Amino acid sequence: MSTHEIDDLTGTQTTGHEWDGIKELNTPLPRWWLWTFYGCILFSIGYTIAYPAWPLISSATTGVLGFSTRANLDADLAAAKAAQGGLLEQVAATPIEEIPANADLARFATAGGKSLFKVYCSQCHGTGAAGSVGYPNLNDDEWIWGGSIDQIHTTITHGARSDADPDTRYNIMPNFGADQVLDSAQIDTVAKQVASLSGIEGGAASDEGATIFAENCAACHGEAGEGMADLGGPSLTDQVWLYQGSLEAIKAQINQARHGVMPAWGARLGDTAVKQLAVYVHSLGGGQ
Amino acid sequence: MLADQQPDTHESYDVEAVNSPKRRQPLYAARKKIFPKRASGTFRKFKWLVMLITLGIYYITPWLRWDRGPYASDQAVLIDLEHRRFFFFFIEIWPQEFYYVAGMLVMAGIGLFLVTSTVGRAWCGYACPQTVWVDLFLVVERAIEGDRNARIKLDAAPWSLDKIWKRVSKHAIWVLIGVATGGAWIFYFADAPALLQDVVTLQAPLVAYVTIALLTATTYVFGGLMREQVCIYMCPWPRIQGAMLDENSLTVTYNGWRGEPRTRHAKKAIAEGKPVGDCVDCNACVVVCPMGIDIRDGQQLACITCALCIDACDDVMTRLGKEKSLISYTTLNDYNRNMALATTPEGTIEPSRVRDAAGKFIDKIRHTTWRSIVRPRTVLYFIGWAAIGLAMLTVLSLRSPLDINVLHDRNPLYVLLKDGTVRNGYEVKILNMTPEPRTVTLHLDGLPGGTLSMADSKGTSEPDLTLELEPDKVLPLRLYVHADPAGLTARQTGFTMVIDSTDGIRAATRANFEAPEKK
Amino acid sequence: MSLLEKHGVIERNASLLLVLSLLVVTVGGIVEIAPLFYFQNTIEKVDGMRPYTPLELAGRNIYLREGCYVCHSQMIRPFRDEVERYGHYSLAAESMYDHPFQWGSKRTGPDLARVGGRYSDVWHVEHLTNPQALVPESIMPRYGFLSQAELDYRNIAADLKVNAILGVPYSEEAIANAAADLVAQATVDGDTSGLASRYANARAADFDGNPAKVTEMDAVVAYLQMLGTLVDFTTYDAKANYR
Repeated sequence: MSTHEIDDLTGTQTTGHEWDGIKELNTPLPRWWLWTFYGCILFSIGYTIAYPAWPLISSATTGVLGFSTRANLDADLAAAKAAQGGLLEQVAATPIEEIPANADLARFATAGGKSLFKVYCSQCHGTGAAGSVGYPNLNDDEWIWGGSIDQIHTTITHGARSDADPDTRYNIMPNFGADQVLDSAQIDTVAKQVASLSGIEGGAASDEGATIFAENCAACHGEAGEGMADLGGPSLTDQVWLYQGSLEAIKAQINQARHGVMPAWGARLGDTAVKQLAVYVHSLGGGQ
Repeated sequence: MLADQQPDTHESYDVEAVNSPKRRQPLYAARKKIFPKRASGTFRKFKWLVMLITLGIYYITPWLRWDRGPYASDQAVLIDLEHRRFFFFFIEIWPQEFYYVAGMLVMAGIGLFLVTSTVGRAWCGYACPQTVWVDLFLVVERAIEGDRNARIKLDAAPWSLDKIWKRVSKHAIWVLIGVATGGAWIFYFADAPALLQDVVTLQAPLVAYVTIALLTATTYVFGGLMREQVCIYMCPWPRIQGAMLDENSLTVTYNGWRGEPRTRHAKKAIAEGKPVGDCVDCNACVVVCPMGIDIRDGQQLACITCALCIDACDDVMTRLGKEKSLISYTTLNDYNRNMALATTPEGTIEPSRVRDAAGKFIDKIRHTTWRSIVRPRTVLYFIGWAAIGLAMLTVLSLRSPLDINVLHDRNPLYVLLKDGTVRNGYEVKILNMTPEPRTVTLHLDGLPGGTLSMADSKGTSEPDLTLELEPDKVLPLRLYVHADPAGLTARQTGFTMVIDSTDGIRAATRANFEAPEKK
Repeated sequence: MSLLEKHGVIERNASLLLVLSLLVVTVGGIVEIAPLFYFQNTIEKVDGMRPYTPLELAGRNIYLREGCYVCHSQMIRPFRDEVERYGHYSLAAESMYDHPFQWGSKRTGPDLARVGGRYSDVWHVEHLTNPQALVPESIMPRYGFLSQAELDYRNIAADLKVNAILGVPYSEEAIANAAADLVAQATVDGDTSGLASRYANARAADFDGNPAKVTEMDAVVAYLQMLGTLVDFTTYDAKANYR
């Protein structure tokens, strides 16, 4: 095959390969292509020197540039933090009650809280913080554990009925029906009594209802059912109901109470993040 | 049997494949140099005037001032990309009013239809920047290298100090013109005096220098080197405009019906009894043409209708004591009629057929006048063009310098409060499009019992709000609207948000109020 | 020159070409993959990693069975956007007991590498039952049937044994007590001392809110609630593990 045959028509050397009389031309590669190819080889060698590449006995070369994605990430995070101009530190250093008074700080905390909320809170409270049955709406002016900014801050920090936090917001409404504290007629009567407080259809105030209420409910919900934020006893006199405001729903709750659980975020996110969340939630319109 | 039909001899045909290698023409045509001679006359004067006006507008506009008070730029025409504002004397356009620009573009389009259908490619011949700048570059060329013959001679001459000097100075001045062109452009986008200072002291942003460099390059290359090739090969307008012409459009036309048969030896031809037309075949029309074409070949794509050949020919005709307008602005209709009068049944042109015994044109000859402009088509174009212009002017004069935009919260749609009332959240933007501060009151119209509060003011809800607007700024607000659903008839209630300025200007927008489903 | 002329032999012999191509590709593969097995620093030194509890392992099997990995990755990459959304970037150590790992790169749903403890058990049950009730824009299918399906853990000990063969440090004791540990973790107030001694920080609860039986829902929620919670990052030296 070393006969260097020259093709007549093109004047190009053939490879000597022939199929059914068709000969393959050995057309040289264009110069620019060839040099680009050699350039790529050279580049790849330089690249493996500059960046982590070659496996050795117990580790790989780290490259003369010292590139590391994890180090880059830490630098990115540090740069992002620096770009916040110390506002995060300011949030950390400022008592929660004083943040709303500082417009710049409040705007920063609200923006940060909003994105944190989307990540950590929206799964239960909804992306618009409107909640759903069993998950409180954070836009309204009804607060089970209080709607001032420090009360909100405390609730987020310690959660509600959280196993992980001994200081968690904790209360349990008894299962008046399931545990046979009240019989079904009594539950019916007191449910109507409760329903009458906020004008729910089917509600009816009665002396017996008032008595049952005073004996069983007033300790947590207040004598007039106005609620006690310190104990986490929700108001029964208004139009906002966590487990729906119908006579049936009230009966069901008295019979066997449902309770929400909220994680304690303080240990998980750190106080600065919780502060931002508190500022954001407080800004949603119902904050007191 | 078949064999019988076969011809005995093989017949050969004298034919060649249409794309045989011998016939193939190169796709690339080398440029043939054109050395346009200086023309003088009516159209040349008109072109000088147009050039003066267009260049004047281009260079002077950014330096005109317009007082807008302390809160806005005092540059009369300014495209402020940074703040997204367009200032044009008393007009200030915000980005959302871009439809004015769209309207201007529609007007420019219809205007082109109008101009082209009446006076042909007048845009190309007079107003196109390519034409204007080439003209300017030719002025420089003539001043340094002399007129046509001198330039041809110089071009053919071997390189000498004189030639080098002339060429270098010519190109240097062209580049300077290019720099001035690019330089003027950037002044439309920033305060001109300040920017000039920055540019000179090398303080201006990089984009300014890049823009100047780019426009210098394009001006120099297009105006100095490529010239007519831009019109013939690069520009789509000639082709589009060609499609917009009709038989009643004015085009620069060689009136062959009186020019043919052309001859340089008229006396001899007359002596021999041959018919002689007015054209003396002096080629004056060709040498002045910046596109290097011969108008006597008829209307063609390369003709930009600059009418310099009319000037050149009129000059010759005057000197010969003949009527002007051997080359003239004429419609195709008139040309065809006159041509029919001049043509013998045998198909030759006899100039005597269009002239009477005294040598005057017979009455049947049609002379194109400005009346050809007024036709249903052009009138319609004009009406459309003017209607859009008037509509835009009306909208512009009626537009409020105050505007309000409202976006209802998506999530939650509404919030039920303890007392049973419902609260809706809105993102509101109030636009103050004047360069002065304003005080406005915001109130609701059409929402029974509806009250307003700022999202960050806890608790207080008022029937109206008083707001201070900064000059030339948007005021973004987060507003709550409260209403008792008992007073509402449907889940969704439409209402109007109204702002009243202290100086009596009002703006309003529709919005919806959402409430829970009625039980 | 003569050697270079011989390429015709390879080009004319398809089988030889195939074998030699494989050889070339193998070299690349070995150079890239093999070192990871003997490098000491591939897996970070961390505190807190332990094998899955039997209940978590059962949940993981259901996770695989239902194809959760088709939409959910378990790999937080070291980029700012990911770290700020999901938490600390995933470490190799966190997948060392995964056979196979669940890293993935296709995120139709969010990454789950650190979903553990982020939401309540009830939320997980409700969300798995009807995702749209809690996240209206979600396109996740419903997995409510997991609450009805009783968990089949007859083979859980064998499952642990297989994992032990693959290198997961399950002790003989752990394998022997697998079924008991599984039940203990899925019930409240059960005896979890054995579980706690074998699996640090294993949380026992009635995950699905149905104390009557151990369902597949119990297992899945137990698995999800553990994800990404094991490594103690207070003792993790990030700088020593830069790469």
